Amino acid sequence: MKKSKLRFLMLLPTFILILFVNLYPLARGGVISFQRLTVFNLNNPRFIGWSNYKTIIRDPDFLRILWNTFIWITLSVTFQFLLGLILALLLAKSFPGRGLYMGLVFYPWALSGFAIGLLWSWLLNGQFGIVNDILIRLGILKFPVGFLSDERFAMFSVILVNVWYGIPFFAIMLLAAIQSIPRELYEAAEIDGAGFWRRLFSITLPYIRPTIYNTILLRTIWVMNFPDIIYGMTRGGPAGTTNILAVHMINVVYYRNNFGLASALGMIIASIMTVFAVIYLALLERGEFEL
Amino acid sequence: MRKLVFFLAVVLVCGLLFSQQITLRMIQVFTSPLRTKILEEIISKFEAQNPGVKIELISPPYETAYQKIYLMVSAEEPLDIVEVGDWSLSALASMGKLLSLESYLAKSDLVKYFVPGVLEAARTYKGTAYLLPNAIYVKTLFYRPDVISKYGITSPAKTMDELLEHCRRLTKPEIGQFGFTFRGKGYPTAFIDIVMTSFFDNIDPNCMYLKKDGKLIFEDPRALEGLKFYIELYKTAPKDSINWGFDEQVNAFASGITPYLFQDPDTVGLLNEIMKQGTYKTAPLPIGRGGKAYPTIGFAGWGITSYSKYKDLAWKFLEFFNSPAINAYWCREYGALPVDMRVYEQDPFFKSETFHGWTAMFEDEKHYQFTKYPLDNEAWSEWNELHETTMQQVLLGKMKPEDALRVWADFWKKAGLVKK
Repeated sequence: MKKSKLRFLMLLPTFILILFVNLYPLARGGVISFQRLTVFNLNNPRFIGWSNYKTIIRDPDFLRILWNTFIWITLSVTFQFLLGLILALLLAKSFPGRGLYMGLVFYPWALSGFAIGLLWSWLLNGQFGIVNDILIRLGILKFPVGFLSDERFAMFSVILVNVWYGIPFFAIMLLAAIQSIPRELYEAAEIDGAGFWRRLFSITLPYIRPTIYNTILLRTIWVMNFPDIIYGMTRGGPAGTTNILAVHMINVVYYRNNFGLASALGMIIASIMTVFAVIYLALLERGEFEL
Repeated sequence: MRKLVFFLAVVLVCGLLFSQQITLRMIQVFTSPLRTKILEEIISKFEAQNPGVKIELISPPYETAYQKIYLMVSAEEPLDIVEVGDWSLSALASMGKLLSLESYLAKSDLVKYFVPGVLEAARTYKGTAYLLPNAIYVKTLFYRPDVISKYGITSPAKTMDELLEHCRRLTKPEIGQFGFTFRGKGYPTAFIDIVMTSFFDNIDPNCMYLKKDGKLIFEDPRALEGLKFYIELYKTAPKDSINWGFDEQVNAFASGITPYLFQDPDTVGLLNEIMKQGTYKTAPLPIGRGGKAYPTIGFAGWGITSYSKYKDLAWKFLEFFNSPAINAYWCREYGALPVDMRVYEQDPFFKSETFHGWTAMFEDEKHYQFTKYPLDNEAWSEWNELHETTMQQVLLGKMKPEDALRVWADFWKKAGLVKK
């Protein structure tokens, strides 16, 4: 058997697996997005062209949902990254009880998103929430604040929880990268009189740059497709204030039982993410993000 | 030794070959730890009476249960008994995967003892019974005598105006005291409708959203009056309740923060677990300015899949579940209202003060007219999302009540509720 043929045969199971696990659901989702498929006609779907997409775009709330999604991603990923980086830098040094401390700060990452959503919906509850109670006892608030029911605070509250949840991911990834930096580089820099900031910008960040890019790209995609926290805390309310595309998609499935419309939303989400990933990777290739 | 091993192997193989173990697969929707425990106890009683039969209970989380059932049933995955709620009956029946129970009902004694309305409820979809209701759900007024008495209120509100007046008197945000246990999310439709329709005196007994003249209620000035009243009621509830679902509502009531609550009888089971006896009572729903209140009879029960291999056995379980003793046990522990009239006569629990709210409503036909939701309309599930979101916008002052009513009227016209 020729070597190339053998290679092809060896790779075939992987191709088949990818085909079934990734491409088939995507293609199926694409087909469903052009069908009228609700619970009333599950066994008898009807082709309706672009109708589902038109319904979504003509929805008066669609622009606001897009804006909410943008805010949700930008603020969540930015703060997750910044705070995750600070945490990684702090944990890179050895100190007594470091192992225990690491276990505690990485704990949120071990919880499920829905559980976090429910947990924080009670913690931030305007009536029985412990957060309000603490703030009142500390004299910071006079009356309880409706963190999740007041339009002014709802979006920031869910973002805050998402930041809390996502910091460990960045911290773990960046810490691993920081720990792979040769110690000699720092020692040489110290001998040359480089201070903390110089060492950070001239050694640490350039060295861990590939990890930063990859984690930001990954996290952006995950955060966009991560309805768990919002769903557990507000279901997109009050009055759509915290509604993002992924939550909207769930509501379309759970409330309306309209699988065609939900698939169209899924395709829109996938398209936005593909465009983002392509632009991001292209800029990366061109060295636009050089530090 | 070899002979013994051979003999044991033969016995084992024969045992496996000739054992007639039948497994029925059953799925529930309204999963909760309390409910699952009660269901499992009933299942064990049935299994004990029917050697060789095993029932495998599937309990998905409530949030995803319907989707799981729809997909399992549409793909004809092994399922024999399916929980069907009133709001999902039409969707499931329209898929053609539920068995018509008419032939079984024709031979069953159960029908003779059904509470009036139960059979009609079972036949919501195209006049055919696709489920056997095992409990009925009607909202009533729960109240906390211990809390309201501190504010000089000696008896629960009898009218909506009185309710608002009481709630205003009770509302003292500075000490965390409010009046009404509001619901802003998680299907708040029924709560809004109870208040809004109480301003009418001519609701169609067959459809909550139509007047007797066949016109939509949303285009009537009384709907606007009712909606404005609902907004006033919200002002006596914690602002946070715009984000409340069942758990938060019940929690606020049990803790006394909001001593007035509209809820279904399944709340009784939960309240009995977390509150001391006598600390809460029930009263009939307050009547509105139209001189009436329009409760709906909600129901849930079991259906049999049309592709089940063990239809007769599944029916046997359904009949067992609805036998007076089991129906009484189910409703007493879980808290719903029994579907069998004999239960009300035999079991003193359902004559107790806890059930005063319901019995008073059932006996007062002049003021309480039961009606139905348009559950067989395909737009029903979409309605709940629209209703919740627009109502939240109204409560937050982002939408005028007049505009919400216009949106709702247009929605139901488009859904074909009004015959042109």
